Amino acid sequence: MLGVLYFHQQGNAAEKLAMDGGIGQGKKGEKGECCESLVGVKMSAELMELASMDWTNTEHMMGTTIMATAFDGGVVMGADSRTTTGSYIANRVSDKITPITDKVWCCRSGSAADTQAISDYVRLYTAQHAIELGQEPRVKTVANLFREICYSNKANLMAGIICAGWDQFSGGQVYNITLGGSCVQQPFSIGGSGSTYIYGYCDSNFRENMTRDECVEFVKHALALAMARDGSSGGVIRMVIIDSSGVQKVFIPGDKLPMAWQG
Amino acid sequence: MSILEYNGGCVVAMAGKECVAIAADRRLGIQLQTLACDANRVFRMHDKLFLGLTGLMTDITSLHNSFDFKLNMYSMREGRLMSPQTFSSLVASTLYEKRFGPYFSEPVIAGLNKDNTPFLCAMDLLGAAAYADDFVVSGTCAESLFGTCETFYRPDLGPDDLFETISQAMLSALDRDCISGWGVTVHIITPEGVTAKSLKARMD
Repeated sequence: MLGVLYFHQQGNAAEKLAMDGGIGQGKKGEKGECCESLVGVKMSAELMELASMDWTNTEHMMGTTIMATAFDGGVVMGADSRTTTGSYIANRVSDKITPITDKVWCCRSGSAADTQAISDYVRLYTAQHAIELGQEPRVKTVANLFREICYSNKANLMAGIICAGWDQFSGGQVYNITLGGSCVQQPFSIGGSGSTYIYGYCDSNFRENMTRDECVEFVKHALALAMARDGSSGGVIRMVIIDSSGVQKVFIPGDKLPMAWQG
Repeated sequence: MSILEYNGGCVVAMAGKECVAIAADRRLGIQLQTLACDANRVFRMHDKLFLGLTGLMTDITSLHNSFDFKLNMYSMREGRLMSPQTFSSLVASTLYEKRFGPYFSEPVIAGLNKDNTPFLCAMDLLGAAAYADDFVVSGTCAESLFGTCETFYRPDLGPDDLFETISQAMLSALDRDCISGWGVTVHIITPEGVTAKSLKARMD
């Protein structure tokens, strides 16, 4: 891809006017229009790339590590807190676990804008559904709504969502909705770019029928390991624990993270 | 992601009163994956001259080896240590030699002149040198480092205050960069000698 750098010549001074992509307007001449002498210089793709301002036209991504584990009577959900624009950390304390209903929440990964829009839509549809249903909606229903939106719009979206919560019929459940729009229920689920580093840890440390506290420790250690290895995960650990009695939020600051081998 | 951001990393150097400090992070990664937390980016050329290199790690290693060799040959022929000014010219010409197929590395040179006045210099990957009397920065979070250094810097700091200042500037900037961090080393160079310190930084 060839880029073009324009140089605006005012007498002997050359100033950068605009770059490929049209960032900025550049200086106007005295009569209010662009000065006549414009010299275009074609540059190679590599040098163009070196000169481009990524942060002005890169969308916010949540590189992320997200996780949810079900226990008898509820779920433990956890996430890191890093939102990036390219390699710049746009928000280092973001909250990636958002409520859909009182007892059904979701962890968001992928494009920040996409997941915010999707979860807003799902919250709306779920609220409307709950009015008709006359009861608290089931976790499976909310997960299905996520799946419907993610699958139908898969060409335009980049969203990996873990939907988890508690309902009176099936207790604690965790549903993983992947990039392509598949929805699968799992006893525990990991997602986001940082999850690739902890598949081994999770597979070897997960046990069936863990207690609530064991689940909390499992999620905490897994997230800390992913945050140490993945550049796009980091910051603080936020956790949300949902059971029949309500919701408890846990916050673990950066200096209290469990430390592993620092290679 | 550009080739200069492939491995990540950053270096900053600051001048004080008859001392300089140079700090660098310790992360080595492949794009967003972290491989090691003990990478070296700052190299001692001699007791009063330090070179910090950012960018592609393989080019950092190659350049460091090349400059070590050239410095050794110079001291053997001349019978004296190379001055910082001369060294910066050497670095600039080595980089410009490869003008149309450059080393993907942006160096920072920090040293003390013969009269113990501080010497700071930063270059781009083609060897364009910029001299400063306060601070110089390089790396993936250079923009953040400019901000923090501009805020925290004061002229004529002693070695201890300089260490505090450069550490805070570095740590704050690292918090905003995904591909730098995982530890920091700081070298403080004074006429009496060099002190090396490690900072406890966020490991994410």
